[in-house]
Amino acid sequence: MNVKSLFWFYFGFVFVGFASSLWSLLTSVLTVMPIPLPYWLLYTPGDIVTAGVVVVALLLVLYAYLGVALVLSKLLRGLVPIIMVIAFTIGLALLLAKLAIPALAALIIAYLMLIGTYSVLTSIATTRASKALWATATIILTLIPLILMAGGLALMNYVKYMALVEQAMAIMASAIEAWRLGVEQ
Amino acid sequence: MVVLALAIVSVVVLVANSIYAVPSPISSVRIGGFGEVDYYASQPILNAPPGLLVRVYLINGSSMKPVNAFIDVYANAPNGIVHVAMGYSSILIVPFNSTNWLYALGKWASLGIPFSGYNTSMLVFITYMHGNESWIVPLLIPYNVGWVYRALGKSTPLTATLSAATPRYIVVNAYINVNELRPSRVVPVRLNGTVTDPQVFGTYNGYTVYNCSLSGPQPPNIYTSYVFQPTSTCLGFNGSLPIAWATWSNGVIQNDQGLQLQLAIDFSGTINWDAMATGYGNIGTSYSAPENWGILSAEFTIGSDVTQPGSLYWYYGGATWAIVNYEVYEVWYVDVPIMYYVGTTTVSEVLYVPPNDVYGYAFDYGNGPISMFYNGSITLSQQYFGYPALNASTIIEYAAFEYTPYGGELWECNGPVGNASTPYGTVYTITLGGVNTAYGLSAAEIGTELGGLAFDVLVEMATEGEATPLEILLNYVGSSIFDIAGLLIPPQTSSTVTKTTLGIGGVTAGTNLYISVVNASAVYGLPTFGFILNATNFYGIPSSFTCKYGKVAQIG
Repeated sequence: MNVKSLFWFYFGFVFVGFASSLWSLLTSVLTVMPIPLPYWLLYTPGDIVTAGVVVVALLLVLYAYLGVALVLSKLLRGLVPIIMVIAFTIGLALLLAKLAIPALAALIIAYLMLIGTYSVLTSIATTRASKALWATATIILTLIPLILMAGGLALMNYVKYMALVEQAMAIMASAIEAWRLGVEQ
Repeated sequence: MVVLALAIVSVVVLVANSIYAVPSPISSVRIGGFGEVDYYASQPILNAPPGLLVRVYLINGSSMKPVNAFIDVYANAPNGIVHVAMGYSSILIVPFNSTNWLYALGKWASLGIPFSGYNTSMLVFITYMHGNESWIVPLLIPYNVGWVYRALGKSTPLTATLSAATPRYIVVNAYINVNELRPSRVVPVRLNGTVTDPQVFGTYNGYTVYNCSLSGPQPPNIYTSYVFQPTSTCLGFNGSLPIAWATWSNGVIQNDQGLQLQLAIDFSGTINWDAMATGYGNIGTSYSAPENWGILSAEFTIGSDVTQPGSLYWYYGGATWAIVNYEVYEVWYVDVPIMYYVGTTTVSEVLYVPPNDVYGYAFDYGNGPISMFYNGSITLSQQYFGYPALNASTIIEYAAFEYTPYGGELWECNGPVGNASTPYGTVYTITLGGVNTAYGLSAAEIGTELGGLAFDVLVEMATEGEATPLEILLNYVGSSIFDIAGLLIPPQTSSTVTKTTLGIGGVTAGTNLYISVVNASAVYGLPTFGFILNATNFYGIPSSFTCKYGKVAQIG
């Protein structure tokens, strides 16, 4: 397998996570400081959503890259992230076209494929630590919709912490992989 | 190694965000096109005292930039307004522990009501000048007194019932949209020390009119430090404020003997009182509290119970309502002070209604609060708002019973009239308001109007209850987005009902009755409706009116 190509996926994953955290940390603190700021630098709900859209777009590019890299390495499971990116893009486009039901169908497929992508990442992890982290993140990702379906939005606060743990695990797993692959080079 | 370090930093920030160690939005309110208020929970941040932070942005075409403006902040107290801070800048920070703000907070605390039982507000005026044009934007910033107590580390029994996370920072982004708001002219004026007395101060039947400008312990120094000189006049009304009323004329007494009238109210849940301003309309919620008025009805018969023109009204007691007139002058000290008139605006706001207030009904034959609406407030509103309170935009020609050569007819002009058969004959009913409607005035601000295409999409998903696709976005974007999702979920409280019903019984073929509706919220922001009953024409004798729904019933 072409190790170098996967290194860039993991590095990108960590970097996007780092950049978005840094952005939220800086803007949230700056927003409450008594200094003049341009409007786009404020930590307002509108700006948070805009930043979120940028992060989603970057991650989709990364997942597409991951899929292509795997397929080129003769690993057909690379199709899973590719399908996820396509389904998500279609879902988002349908949503913007205000077609809620087909959008929902596409996004549910995208979510299932996202769980699949995490499984793929678990399967190709090169260290025991990152494998465990990806596996746990996959399980959490699977549980979140089940919990929300069972308990409704009242459980949003618990889900919030689960998603937080899942995200932290994915970032750490990627960092371990990137470190490992970087050292091996 | 660098990758590992980046990852660890990201995880730390993620955790910090989720436990409110750094500012995290827990609520957001949009005030029409005039501004946005974001509430942040947080641990203390160095150099950022907890409090209110006002930021001013100039919108011109597609550009949106911070701009210097004269920012003037007042705190609403239960019985008046207190001048707290002012400054000329693109930002103004007003710490919770400002002496005058604490003074106003002390007034609230002295009521002894648990802080979770009501929300009050700050009244902010933003004056922007460009050349010889000026814009004054008034905004109401809702907040809870308990948040301040908690942020300042004060604990009293009144803070016990607050929710777990409360804001530490209230950030207001005010928009001066020069493309949409009409400017006024800046003109030189002579120095004029006389203040016109509205001539209405005094005690009336059920309410008192008084000067509601409260001077705090340290009034901001107006005359030496600033080129801008604001003046505010606060006219307070304390006592019984009407929930709903019905007024009948002398003609009705003479023509419609035996007509039975019934005025019913049903108000329950959290009532928001939105402030109104000249030229701007709704500028945000000035006060909100849970209330439970009704379901109750008052009944009377023309000719036996009432024999002279007057009104029957439902009222809530112990409330305070204020009309604040705000003027700004610019003063230049060359050799002698040269003064320019910058502009003026008038705000009508409810300051205080006791939570779960007492209420009742009473008759007004010329000296009560309804007469004040018709007489006193017409003068006042002409003086302060520049137009009469009861005009074409606030009077609705609703429906009429007409005696014609063909018999009695019921005409519906601007809304439905229901009817129900009772053992005493047919009762016709007009019901205004309903669940979650504040009398046609939509709530000025709900977190769902946060703007941005992507956000609208999120809102759509959240409001349709499709949480699963939302999760995908949420997963990618991280925990900060959960705060947004939290803002979108409507609070799990019982629904709010604001409903007024007028029932009319004993209608015969000979009945002549024109029913006009007064929408007091359109002028004063009081969530109040009045019915005016006349025998020959609608109120104000309009030269023409249209009955949208036409004749709907033949009577007799």
